[in-house]
Amino acid sequence: MIGPSERATERILLVSAAVSASVTVLILGFMLVMALPLLRGGGLFSLLTQHWEPGKGLYGIYPLLVTTAGISSLSLLLAFPLSLGCACLIGLYGQRPPGTLLRRIVQLMTGVPTVVYGFVGIFVLVPLIREFFQTGSGMCLLTGALMLSVLIAPTMILFFQDSFERVPRSHLAAADALGADRAQKLLYVVLPAARRGILVGVILAFGRAAGDTLIALMLAGNAVQVPGSVLDSVRTLTAHIALVIAADYESPEFRSIFACGLILYLFITVITVLVRRLAMPESGERP
Amino acid sequence: MNRFRENALIGVSWACGLILSGIFFLLVAYLAHQGAGVIDVKLLFGETPPLQALLLQQRVFDGLFPAMVGTFLLVCLSIVLAVPLGVATGIYMAEYAGARVKNLFNLVFDVLAGIPSILVGLFGFALAIFLHKHFSNRIQPCLLISALALAFLVLPYIIRTTQAALEGIPGETRLTALALGATKPQNLFHVLIPQSLSGMLSGLILAIGRCAEDTAVIMLTGVVVTAGVPTSLLGPYEALPFYIYYISSQYAGPEELLRGYGASLILLLLCTMLFFAAFLIKKRLTYLALYRP
Amino acid sequence: MKKILFLLFTAACVLAFTSTTGVAGDLDAFKGEKGVLKISGGTAHIPVMKEAAQRIMSAYPAIQISIAAGGSGVGIKQVGEGLVQIGNSGRAPTEDEIARYGLKPHMWALDGVAVVVHPRNPVKALSQAQVAGIYAGAIGNWKALGGEDRPINLYTRDEASGTREVFWEKALKKGPIAAKANVVVSNGAMKSAVSQDPYGIGYVSVGHIDASVAPVAFDGVVPTVQTVRNGQFKIARGLYSNTKGAPTGLTRKFIDYLFSPEGRAIVQEKGFIPHP
Repeated sequence: MIGPSERATERILLVSAAVSASVTVLILGFMLVMALPLLRGGGLFSLLTQHWEPGKGLYGIYPLLVTTAGISSLSLLLAFPLSLGCACLIGLYGQRPPGTLLRRIVQLMTGVPTVVYGFVGIFVLVPLIREFFQTGSGMCLLTGALMLSVLIAPTMILFFQDSFERVPRSHLAAADALGADRAQKLLYVVLPAARRGILVGVILAFGRAAGDTLIALMLAGNAVQVPGSVLDSVRTLTAHIALVIAADYESPEFRSIFACGLILYLFITVITVLVRRLAMPESGERP
Repeated sequence: MNRFRENALIGVSWACGLILSGIFFLLVAYLAHQGAGVIDVKLLFGETPPLQALLLQQRVFDGLFPAMVGTFLLVCLSIVLAVPLGVATGIYMAEYAGARVKNLFNLVFDVLAGIPSILVGLFGFALAIFLHKHFSNRIQPCLLISALALAFLVLPYIIRTTQAALEGIPGETRLTALALGATKPQNLFHVLIPQSLSGMLSGLILAIGRCAEDTAVIMLTGVVVTAGVPTSLLGPYEALPFYIYYISSQYAGPEELLRGYGASLILLLLCTMLFFAAFLIKKRLTYLALYRP
Repeated sequence: MKKILFLLFTAACVLAFTSTTGVAGDLDAFKGEKGVLKISGGTAHIPVMKEAAQRIMSAYPAIQISIAAGGSGVGIKQVGEGLVQIGNSGRAPTEDEIARYGLKPHMWALDGVAVVVHPRNPVKALSQAQVAGIYAGAIGNWKALGGEDRPINLYTRDEASGTREVFWEKALKKGPIAAKANVVVSNGAMKSAVSQDPYGIGYVSVGHIDASVAPVAFDGVVPTVQTVRNGQFKIARGLYSNTKGAPTGLTRKFIDYLFSPEGRAIVQEKGFIPHP
């Protein structure tokens, strides 16, 4: 009963899926091949621990790693309470104006281009930070983290809110039967039940903060150093890729870019696997 | 005592909601205040007569026109490259893939969706250099390479929205045509795909928005400061988001800076509207829309 | 409808008229040329490149000239790898680079690299030792130099920059640059960064200096076009456009244009000293 056209259709679809999947592998392959000469013979260790001073033949990315970890953590720390609060407000007011309005605003915010955040950051946030702290140029880790937290907040809010909505009706009905009001339901039923969903949102937001390029590139100052304070000028892995791309195609500088890329790739893979592990058992499907 | 906790929750929630909306409104108001006044014909075309610019008879300097054309072409090209592949993959995932293949590919596409755009750009750049050295001198970072890299960037959106739309079709709809003797492809093309168009549409809109706003990919794969309206797929081009990035740090005077504000406002309106439309069309879009950095 | 057609017709006539007769002498060389010319690299060059490209493309719309930044190192690599036709550099290409890629440098201007601060900064002169001390991080506060009691914000350029190399060699005498310095990617970006930071210090091509930043006298010599030309200001360098081998076709015409009277006038107008 299976005709030739039917088989052809299936084959075309299979090939498409294989091509799509191979893109993922191809990206990893390119990173590996380009970074490999640098990683051979204990190169990985010096790469991860050394400083970046091309003039002296040092191509380590240690300061970049510390910065990326620091700036993403700080932005998460700032954005998490804000996002949880916003998600609670949407949860409290559900279908009524404060809730729906805030949800619409958050949805609009997901569409704001990162380069626009960077642009406004340069002309508003940078002078503000410089004058407020009376030191430094205003382009620093804190400025970058503040803007990043605005970038990742909508991601978290929508995820949190989604996980609130997935809390089983029966739980809420039970709370209703006990005479709980909105705030009590949210605090004692919804929030504990949505713990896992909240965690997923946080992890994804962390990945997003670490992977963003433009905000750090435009606002964090780009000095290659291990930050001693949040007011120091710093450079992230992603900004480093954008800045050094220009150099020699064969040089160790250029190869170190691919090492940065490889690290980010592996980091994202870990995050993805983690999220899938966390999200799957809860709903049997993706979050 | 518990009353206190509950009231605190309500208070803090309100505070958070107000802070976030405040930030957003400040952002929009600031750009609108600085940029709205400069949005006119001159912002787009500079001193060149608009008609001649549109007919490509005369080049535009000191205007956004070349950058807007560049972004437009880039979006069209990426979508043309990504949609057939993405839709076909989505259909395969939803209708044909066995459980194990599906599981593996789901993971692979999740990883692809999470790869930071700067890495996709780096990949595009490395690919261009590779092709340049081993295949043809004519290939180098250019409009086509950028479009290809952007297509990879938005591929997971299209796969996921297609897959989710198909998987969401109820069993009865799925089986009716088959029971009447339709083949699997017939069922697919005449019943299932028409049923899931709105889901696919939301993915398409998201992909357009992402292509239009992304800066990290194109800055590594061929966008330049000045090129005029692109004349070839293998040539350099300008784009709106890169223009904003460039102006932000290297504006030559107040006039150029004002054009930067104008460009930011245009891109902001364009992208927020696209994302908003996608959310309106499809309710449960969170996972699809926000995964990627 | 007729009126619109008539207007269009008039516009077309005017256009045809200007493109055949209205063009000054030195642009005539581009007559009949078409195609794409790609330029990248040095950022000090960009104002001159933009102006030249704009004039050429307005007169001959069939020519497309693209200009990318990136810094001198990038310009030299890209022209060497055949990715662009002209790679600009704000320093002379090294012998190694010339030999490896078969480069032909064309120096069309003389330029200086000047220390700049915010116009409101009271510090107007620094010695070589002071500049070296500031960039090494040893002098960290404007107060030590007669300014306000605020930390000095350092700005430097990326490793691909020719301006950085010249500054490092001639102003810092190859002394260290502190790791805490903010990194910016072009002369234009340096100028706008310092113009926005009242406590910043940076270095920029003399041709790029305008009212938004204040040049600082270096060892008693104020950096201006005059002091660079008469050799008093020591941190001087040439601006080069490099081609792979001898330039041909459109590339050659572009390079020739930079050396023509009209090209030299553009160079001068943008704040550089035409060479030779």
